[in-house]
Amino acid sequence: MGKKESSQKRLQAAKDLNQLVFRYYQECLEAKTHGKPVGWMPPMNGAIELCYALDLQPVFPENWSPLCAAFGYTPENFRVSEGLGYSRDLCGYLRNIVGYVYGPMAKGGLPLALPEPDFLLSFGGGCVPAMKIFHILERRFPKAIVFSADLPQVAAEHVEGHHLTYAVSELNRLIDFLTQTTKRKLDMNRLKETVSLSDQASALWDEIMTYRRLIPVPFSAAEIGIMFVMVTRQGTQEAVDFLAQVRDEVRERAEKKTGVIEDEQIRLFWDNIPPWYNLGLLRAFEKMGGVVVAETYSSAWSIRLTGDDPIEALARKSLLSYSQVSCVSIKKRREDVLRACREYAIDGAILHRNKSCAPITLGQMDIQKALQEELAIPSVIIDGDHMDERNFSEAQFQIRAEAFMEMLKHKKGLR
Amino acid sequence: MNEALRPFKDWLDYYPEKHLALSGHSPLIGYFCTYTPIEIIYAAGFIPIRILGESGPMEKVHTLAPSFICHYMRRGLEKALEGKYTYLSGLVQAYTCDVACGLTNIWAENIPLAFYHTLPLPYNRNPEARTYFRSILQELIEKMNTHGGRFSLEALDHSLKLYQQIRERLLDLYERRVSGQLDFSAKNMLMVVLAGFVTPPEIYLEHLRALVRQVQGRDDLTKTVSFPVLVSGSLIEDPLILETVEAMGFRVVADDLCTGLRSFYPVTGQGGDPLDRLINRTIDRFPCPARHRAKDRFPMLMDLVRRSGAKGVIFLPQKFCTPHLADYPLLAEAFNQEGLPHLLLEMEDSGLTEAHRTRLEAFLEIHGV
Repeated sequence: MGKKESSQKRLQAAKDLNQLVFRYYQECLEAKTHGKPVGWMPPMNGAIELCYALDLQPVFPENWSPLCAAFGYTPENFRVSEGLGYSRDLCGYLRNIVGYVYGPMAKGGLPLALPEPDFLLSFGGGCVPAMKIFHILERRFPKAIVFSADLPQVAAEHVEGHHLTYAVSELNRLIDFLTQTTKRKLDMNRLKETVSLSDQASALWDEIMTYRRLIPVPFSAAEIGIMFVMVTRQGTQEAVDFLAQVRDEVRERAEKKTGVIEDEQIRLFWDNIPPWYNLGLLRAFEKMGGVVVAETYSSAWSIRLTGDDPIEALARKSLLSYSQVSCVSIKKRREDVLRACREYAIDGAILHRNKSCAPITLGQMDIQKALQEELAIPSVIIDGDHMDERNFSEAQFQIRAEAFMEMLKHKKGLR
Repeated sequence: MNEALRPFKDWLDYYPEKHLALSGHSPLIGYFCTYTPIEIIYAAGFIPIRILGESGPMEKVHTLAPSFICHYMRRGLEKALEGKYTYLSGLVQAYTCDVACGLTNIWAENIPLAFYHTLPLPYNRNPEARTYFRSILQELIEKMNTHGGRFSLEALDHSLKLYQQIRERLLDLYERRVSGQLDFSAKNMLMVVLAGFVTPPEIYLEHLRALVRQVQGRDDLTKTVSFPVLVSGSLIEDPLILETVEAMGFRVVADDLCTGLRSFYPVTGQGGDPLDRLINRTIDRFPCPARHRAKDRFPMLMDLVRRSGAKGVIFLPQKFCTPHLADYPLLAEAFNQEGLPHLLLEMEDSGLTEAHRTRLEAFLEIHGV
């Protein structure tokens, strides 16, 4: 693996993100000293807002994995999990967190770390690796109290009243569990306030994304790390403040027509989870006049929490979030991707064939066909893995990226 | 071959032609996972047919699916793209693993059938989960009725009883094998179970009745048994795999396969109402790793080991099968604590390779009697 691409022309807010990340993990580590029980849970569901409303500390092992990849912790974590017998064919998120909890977490010594959980929201209803992560964590942390959560795995366009009813009943069950095990009372006004903050964050997120329609685009997919607040901080003022800061900066850049690169020739779309170990790869196209202006992942944070009933709003969010990126029908994905490509004036799409995520990868070739047939947008498939660098060839990536960019420029009459 | 086995082999060998002929008067519905409520499909007037992958070339599938998913799902799509499932009226799939969900979506885009339906099954077993389960079954029933189905609770009652009789006979064969009362090879047992996935249930029950009558006390198995084992995995589609394993000196005395015990145990569910019986059976099924924890599976696997006299475990999952591969280390650790030797062989296609055989030989040499 060669030297990682260094990022340039970063948003100031994105640089501030580092402090926010550090602050969040410090808060996690210090939670118990402040009498806050720590719960480990999957992301992209309404449990996050519930925890903040109950003054509990949510921790997201899935989100910890991209951080490990960015900080270079993954090789050791993979070594540990593979030593335990976890196959390299398993999702990198799973292998990373398992390696971490059985290896470095016990040894200590890392600048950032996770606190042991007091409770686990063990999950049926996400993808299978996400579910299995928690089964393994139950074994690793036998003192943690386990809540077995459930959520219908249903495509967004097929969500019906009975799915929502069940999701609401599961959230009510979760509230009972959290209030009983942590001896806290749920203040409905506080929950409404938390849900309102979460909705404000989603509204800001949507507003920020609209600026990416502009030419030149004020920020690229390499800044996707800002979604950290959508994963870990939804329902907090901190998320709203941070996103407002991002929005202001992006708006200012847009007004000044400040682009990511001087001469934006080609606008690109990225499908699937990015390679967390080298987000700079998303900038590899910039030297060739291309910018990755949009990606599949960002739509997952657009779900609004409206209505008078905060629990129903959270249940709806839980149902719709996961199915934005997985268990989604190809019809819906095609509509979403084609719409994004129209709105963002995309010239070409990069389809990351991601060995660590079968759910998002399946259907990509149908999307590729639709892009070509319906919008005449060419695409390239990049074989890789969002967590495991060993499943990615930088040389192959460079060759394909260069050839793809040459073809796109030729198509646009730029050469 | 035992004559009573011939109808099962015939169905396995010639099911495409038989299905094509059947589809002229009886609509057929495909499914992948045995958690699919086939009793409802049958009660609505359709014949449920499990999609089989089997061995064969992979050419067209490369244009639609990546290589890092299991052979079973890839081959199923390959066959569909070759036009081998044109006789299906629809495809119903219970969401059990991500790949089956994703491939169902790809089928829906590329294989024109009258309808597709995915059931988001609950993972819990509390009253709310059961109520929800009932609602998604109602949704399926409505969907089937809009596509020519004629569901009634009476028909479901008949369907449940029919499948119960089938499962009772399969379990009888299985139990007698486990207890050593019946010499019936694992290869033959697998062939019988596989045939059930592609044979209309009323015909299949007749064949099973004849088989159960004929194999009473029969001895069609080699006596050179050195190492009784439990085989655990997802699908084994080629009976020759188990024949090879047994020819090497193992005896497959118990299984944890969805082409084995998991597909027919328990035989029915409790409850007066037919839908309750179906729901309870599904919730109480012998646990599949796609839906259950290793810690819940292990006691049941150990019970199988003790009752069958297995002295070792062979894990035979399909390569890339996340549910099985994710549970493997936890189960391996638990078996280690019981002093039970085990071996993991991932199947890259539907058969055993030379490398697999070598590892099996070594396993036998180290741990066999």
